This record gives sequence, C-alpha cells and structure tokens, in this order.
Amino acid sequence: MTLWIARLASLKLTLAIFVLFCASVVLVYFTHGSPAWILALPFCLFAVNLAAAILSNPAFWRQPGLLVFHLALLALVILLAISRLTYLKGHLEVSDGETFNGELTESESGPLHPWHLDQARFRQENFTIDYAPGLNRGRTRSQVLWQDADGKLQQSTIGDQHPLILAGYRFYTTHNKGFAPDFIWYPAHGGAPQEGTIHLPSYPAHEYQQALSWTIPGTRHKIWTLLEIDEVVLDKNRESEFRAPKKHRLLIRYNGQRHELRPGASLLFKDGRLKYEGLRLWMGYTVFYDRTMPWLLAACTLTVLGMAWHFWRKFAARPWRAED
Amino acid sequence: MEREIQLLWLAVVIYVIAGSLAIFAVVLGKRPEKTILGLLVSALLVHGISIGLRWVRLDHGPYLTMFEILSSNVFSLLFVFALAYWRFRAIRPVAAIVLPLMFIMMGWLMLSNPNPGHLPPTYDTTWLVIHIMFGKVFLGAVLVAVGMAGVVLLRAAGIGEQKFSRLPNDRRLDDLAYRFMALGLIFESLMLIAGAIWAQNAWGRYWAWDPLETWSFINWIVLAFALHLRVTLKPAPVRGALLIIAVFVLAFLTFFGVPFISRTPHQGAI
Repeated sequence: MTLWIARLASLKLTLAIFVLFCASVVLVYFTHGSPAWILALPFCLFAVNLAAAILSNPAFWRQPGLLVFHLALLALVILLAISRLTYLKGHLEVSDGETFNGELTESESGPLHPWHLDQARFRQENFTIDYAPGLNRGRTRSQVLWQDADGKLQQSTIGDQHPLILAGYRFYTTHNKGFAPDFIWYPAHGGAPQEGTIHLPSYPAHEYQQALSWTIPGTRHKIWTLLEIDEVVLDKNRESEFRAPKKHRLLIRYNGQRHELRPGASLLFKDGRLKYEGLRLWMGYTVFYDRTMPWLLAACTLTVLGMAWHFWRKFAARPWRAED
Repeated sequence: MEREIQLLWLAVVIYVIAGSLAIFAVVLGKRPEKTILGLLVSALLVHGISIGLRWVRLDHGPYLTMFEILSSNVFSLLFVFALAYWRFRAIRPVAAIVLPLMFIMMGWLMLSNPNPGHLPPTYDTTWLVIHIMFGKVFLGAVLVAVGMAGVVLLRAAGIGEQKFSRLPNDRRLDDLAYRFMALGLIFESLMLIAGAIWAQNAWGRYWAWDPLETWSFINWIVLAFALHLRVTLKPAPVRGALLIIAVFVLAFLTFFGVPFISRTPHQGAI
C-alpha cells in the first residue's frame, strides 16, 4: 500500500501529468465538442498524484507553505469537479412587462444541478442601452422587479458588471436584445384571450432581418411577421439610445395574403381575432449557477498565498544578490 | 494627441540609446551602468507621462487597442527590468540582451495605429486593470529571466564568453532566472484569478476556454512544468535556459498573437 502511494506520489509522474494536461487542453481547443473525460482525466490523475504526494512526501510537512499550496490545489481540483457536476449555464429572453417563468431558450448543466429555477422569478421593466457613434454599445441599465424572502417587492437596476442574483442564479444582461410585437388572441367562441409576443431577431445585429414565423398561442395559425421601421433608431453618427421605434409598420403574411397592422389594429380569422397591441422590447439574459464560486476563489487565493510563502522561505535561505 | 506621440517618440529614442549603450558596454568591456540606468529611468518617466496624458484624455487605461497594449507593455516590461537592473548589479550586462528584444516591440508600437478605440462596458471595471497589472508583472519577471537565460545560451554557444565574464556563473544565473520564473508563476496565477473575477462580472462566467484563457492556462502549465522539472530532474543550466525561452515565447504569443485569432469578447490586444 505504502509502495503504491509512493509510486502515485512520484514527482516524475507529476511531470507526465503536466504534459498530459497540456495535450488535453490543446486537443479540446482544436477539436470542438470533445468529450468531457479528455479534460477530466488529467484533472483526476493530478488529484491522485497530489493527494499521494501530500500523504507520503515528508518535504510537504517540513515546508508549511508548500503544504498549503498543494492542499489548496487539491481542494481546487475537487471544487472544480463539484462545480462541473452542479453548474447551470443558460440563456433566456424576456419582454418588458413580462415575468420570467423559468424557461430557458438554451442551457447546459451538470448532472447534479438542483433545478430550482422556478424560485428565481423576476419581472422585466424598462431597459436602456446607450450607443456611441459608430454603433458602439455602451452602458445597459435594465430595471427588474423581484420578491425578496419576506415577499416584499424589490426593484433593481442591473446590467454590465451588475447581475441580479436570485436563489443562487445569477442573471446577466447581454448584447442580445430586440423588438417584440405584442399580440392578443381573442377566440371567436368565447374563452380567455391569450397574449403572446414575438421576439424578432436581435437588433441592430440583424437590422435588416426583422422577420419571423410565429404560431398564434392556442391555435394552429402560423403567421409570418415583418417589422418595417420608418425612422432611425440607432444613429451611426451620433450618440443614441436603444428604444422601440415610434414610426413602424407590422406586415403579416397568412395564407398567401399580406396585411399591414398598426398598434391597436386587428386581423380577423375564422375562429378568432388577432389584435396587435404594440411594439415592446425584449432583453436577452445569461443565467449562471455555481455554488462553488466563493470556495473556488478562496482555494485559488490560498494556492497563491501558499506558493508565495513557499518561494519566500526558499529564496530567503540564500540572498538574491549573493554576488553583489 | 500630438504631445503624447512626441513624448512617446522621445522615450523610444532614449530607450534605444540606453540599449545601444548596453550593447557597446558588453562589446567594449566598459561599465556605463549608471548612465544606462539614468537613461532607462528618464525614458520611463517620459513614457509614463505620455501614457498618463492619453489615459486622462480618453478616460481609460492603455488596454484597448494594439497601440495602447504595446505601449503599456513596453513601459511595464522595461519598468520591471529597470527595477531588476537597479537591484541586481551582478546581472546588469543582460541589458544587452533584454533591451534589443524590446526594440522589436518598440518598432511594432511605432508602426501601429494610435487612434483611440471604443471602451466596451465590460471593460469598465477595476478588475480588468488589476488583471492586466498582474499579467504585466508576470511577463516582466519572465523577461528578466530570459535575459539571464540568453547569457547562459550565448556562453554555451561560445559567443561572448569573455564579454559576459563579469556575470555570475551559469549555475547562479540559472538559480536567479528561476527565482524570476517563480515570481512569474505567482503573478500569472494572480492574473488568472483576477481575470476570472472580471469575466464572471462581465460575461457571467469565470472560465469559458476562450482562446486567450486557454493559452494563458497552457502558459501556466508550462511554467509550472518548468519549475517542477527543475526541482525533480535538476537539468543543466542550458536546458533550463531553453525552457525559460520556451515559456517566454509562449507567453509572448499568448499576449500578442492569440488576440489576432480570437473572436470572443475577451480579445486582449485588438
């Protein structure tokens, strides 16, 4: 047993693991969609090698700085593993006036992610984005309403460096945002009206592709919508602010027929009426969940402190300027 | 802007005079060390004023365009080197290796476009400044190590053995160079940590394996490998010197090469 630990603690093995680490990172970098084990393998080997070295190498116990450095490195590897098992990264879009309902447009997560996104509700209020000449995006200020633990309504302005943190989920504004035509469907034979918004492609990235097909909620009617903007929203030559255009037309194509709608106008179907309420804005968010973050930061800090302590003691033993 | 550029040109001229003097000193066996140090300090002062004027004018640090990044790196690398030059008299002749290396960067700087860039809101944070500062100390420490490694390699190649005779022997140079490499590892680790904090605030993820992150991490592994190899296998100074050069080349390519292929918001020099 001791012999095995000593073998696993080999410093030459550490060198080999460094080489493997490098190869894995380069492989993952150049080949997209590489399986996770390619990176997990060197991490695991590194953890085993570190643990064995800490247990069996007396040098660690003689040099506290070195011990702290390697223990913190080991903690870092373990925390990274926990992080990958429990994290969540995703994207969502919310229109102004709408409440985030926990639905993500895309996401990836660790197999042990606790999934309590339903506890992270917030309502999107107005948002503003500054633009400098040349369509250079500036500050984003997004107003959101959310309930605290006591059920009290809170308002926050988030954006850029300031996320909204709810139930451990961190919501960040992104460059992704656009226009959202808002409709209400009134069924002909009674029933509750249904509201729906179309999130047109991101603006100004897709300035000339403001069109999308959409199925009216609760029906099988698929319509094609095109937003025609009759004014300059973001001026390339001066400072401006992202906003919904006042002068715009909404073109709808259904069953080969073309209709033009302005806010308040309706389109009649056999089984109901579709009313165009007006143009709203939608904001794209990134959501991130990783409970290990503060612990990772602590482990990283300890790693550097241990390393600095170790080198300080080591180099102090012989003056830097021995020849001077 | 004209004043900034004039001051930058003046600083570059003084750097070049200092570097040329360092080369002549080694070739002719003279010791104008105080003059070289004085020139370096003067150039750094003038260069610092040029960077400061630009900072005040644009209201952001020198970390957006290639011009700004090259200028601030020339400043920070030579600042770290000037400190080492001042504190370690024994290694002063390595200026004849380090300063010509910097001439390449200065040439690139003088050819790059000095027009200002747009400051993205994600760059408007103290953590970015901290991240960059740590990165500059890392590269500066490795540059000093490169100077010593260069002497070891030149001696091994039979070039300038006589000229560099005033310097400590290869073993001692190797030891000193690896002390600077250790310093480099500490500051690269700090750079990665500060960068992760910035990335978390700016883009909602502390690590995403983007090209700069990936190559910085590879840099960290290679640097750790070099230090570990030295403890484990105790290689001869020449091999140690080759590893130091490899780390520097990799770091240089990461700082100034990867940004050209990166398409992510974390671009570095653009």
